[in-house]
Amino acid sequence: MSTLSPTSAAGPDPAVNVDVTGETRLERITGIAQQQGGLVSLVIVFVAACAFSDGFADWGNFQSILVGNAYTSLLALGMTFVILTGGIDLSVGSMFALGGVLAAWGAGHGGVLVAILLPLVVAALFGLLQGTLIAKARLAPFIVTLAGMLFARGLLQAISAEGTDTYLVPKGSAFLWLGDGTWRPILTAVILFVLGGILLMRTRFGQALFAIGGSENAALLMGLPVARTKVLVYVLSATIAGAAGMLNASRLQSGVTNIGVGYELTAIAAVIIGGTLLTGGAGSILGTAAGVLLLAVIQNLIGVHLSQYGSSASDLANGLFLAVVVLIQTTLTRVRRLP
Amino acid sequence: MALTSKRRTASVVVVAGTALALALTGCSKSADDSGGSSPTGGAAGNSAAAQQVQSTGSSGDSCTYTTYGADKIDLKNVTVGFSQSESTSNPFRATETQSITDEAKAQGIKLIQRNANANVQQQNTDIQDMIAQGAKVLIVAPENSDGLAPAFAQAKAKKIPILTIDRTVNGSACSDFIGFIGSDFAGQAKIAAQDMAKALPDGGNIAILQGTSGNNVAEARTDGFTKEIAASSPNLKVVASQTANFDQATGQKVMEQILQSNPDIKGVYAENDTMALGAIQAIKAAGKTPGKDIQVIGIDGTEDAVKDVAAGVMFSDVETNPRFGPLAFQALTDFYSDKGTPTNIIIADHHFTKDNAQEALDNGDVY
Repeated sequence: MSTLSPTSAAGPDPAVNVDVTGETRLERITGIAQQQGGLVSLVIVFVAACAFSDGFADWGNFQSILVGNAYTSLLALGMTFVILTGGIDLSVGSMFALGGVLAAWGAGHGGVLVAILLPLVVAALFGLLQGTLIAKARLAPFIVTLAGMLFARGLLQAISAEGTDTYLVPKGSAFLWLGDGTWRPILTAVILFVLGGILLMRTRFGQALFAIGGSENAALLMGLPVARTKVLVYVLSATIAGAAGMLNASRLQSGVTNIGVGYELTAIAAVIIGGTLLTGGAGSILGTAAGVLLLAVIQNLIGVHLSQYGSSASDLANGLFLAVVVLIQTTLTRVRRLP
Repeated sequence: MALTSKRRTASVVVVAGTALALALTGCSKSADDSGGSSPTGGAAGNSAAAQQVQSTGSSGDSCTYTTYGADKIDLKNVTVGFSQSESTSNPFRATETQSITDEAKAQGIKLIQRNANANVQQQNTDIQDMIAQGAKVLIVAPENSDGLAPAFAQAKAKKIPILTIDRTVNGSACSDFIGFIGSDFAGQAKIAAQDMAKALPDGGNIAILQGTSGNNVAEARTDGFTKEIAASSPNLKVVASQTANFDQATGQKVMEQILQSNPDIKGVYAENDTMALGAIQAIKAAGKTPGKDIQVIGIDGTEDAVKDVAAGVMFSDVETNPRFGPLAFQALTDFYSDKGTPTNIIIADHHFTKDNAQEALDNGDVY
């Protein structure tokens, strides 16, 4: 994680003076701001929304924001691990949809156990294949998971007659318990985020992710199981995405076939806004949670205030906001990484 | 140091790529019921173009607030929520939203609205948001026939009635939702099939460009067409039937593939106008003349397609009238009276052929 120390004071920005410890005060401050930039922005936007947006500070509205993003937030959780290693997983949106279709099919054809296990097993195998291609065959994660995105979507189309068959979870199936109500989805997401945080900060596996993302060669020289860890990280991401889709199918009571398009991008955006470096090596689960909530709050505000002006206004605001956040993020990163 | 700058470049590339991909998804999300060019909400207020009721099912199934189990309210004193399913970059959606907004304004009703941009997940959140924001009645244009269960369940638990328009949801009328207002999709397809028979009196091979899967519209438009062809036009043979997601670019691509594998195609039935416009591009690119070598029939009645009908490029076009405002608020008013509203209101759609297309364009009846 500490591979970021500057090597020379002769950088293009003379304002940064490197002291003997290798870190300036400016770097420390921007380092904290960059790590927790998402959280800082979330607090600012949240307070502003409570103050200026009528009806925002309402318990029902908070519930709606939380429950509406509970399961999709899990995609960002899995994505955090992948991006920490310097990789990317574009297949999670399709896997989310496929997981839902498999779960709904399973609930109708085999019962609760099939509904839960089938998507998890398929997703894990899928992740294993992607991880092996990336870690062992050394193919670029962007390309492998892009292919995975198309493949998973194709598989979904194949088992649903080109998407025309929507499998319904039978009424009264015990599988519906999982995603029912408001608090169960929210609590599930919170628990999984906490487990994710523990996995990242308190285990050998989690620390290896930081090392690999910081410098893969150094991690290899340290004797870390780089290839195995990288395979596992894609298995983890795919399995979480499949599980999220499965839980979502329980909530929607059906395997909706045209769901999940573009979700991987929202997940990546949440992770980046949360302060995880796209190049890997630094980031946190707390930051990702803040990123997810920040995007959700912004989406909520855009819905309230801009829907009446048409889709173009909403899209413009969304794009503008993302651009501003990435700009701030990049600026902070640049200061921190000089030269 | 070399590593750092390389990383920085990589990061810029990935950020730029992600932004581009976001923009691309944004564009492709507008793929549904219609499409084409300029959104012309102006036609929303045209009285000649207003929706007319064709049938309301059997007379017995009328729904009132008492049978539904909702509280009596006066629409003028409450907030009504409208959930639009897809981007208003699509003329059908733009006209629909405009019509609802205009009618609410005309009646002095407070309206709040959301757009789910073709995302079922988002539409669930939209509906719940509007309930949190204080909406007491909802008009929903569903993205999908399934998948809105959580939002509908919450509305039901809070005794907030939902009127569905333009697509159906699975569930029971006057219980899970008030009812449905929309086109007779199978009927539209039947008219298109009859037109195809007229366009190709000598018979021949035809192709179908299907809409987005997972909703009742595309299914009914496929079934209605194939049944009518099988029943009354034995000399027409459907040799290709593929989905093109109600999207113009996809329509063009799929049509190119169909023309390669079946060069003897004589007619194309596109389940919306956008795909029809894409198919026309593909036909031209293959060196054939649409309207002469290959007959194209579409559904929706968008301005671009009706222009093609007037010019003889397309054979005919069956309308899907998106001006839901007046009928939707009428249904809600009736719902809160002792009279009740029918639970299945089917609108009469126009039928544009070479004889009336130019007149409709001149009168501004198309959107």
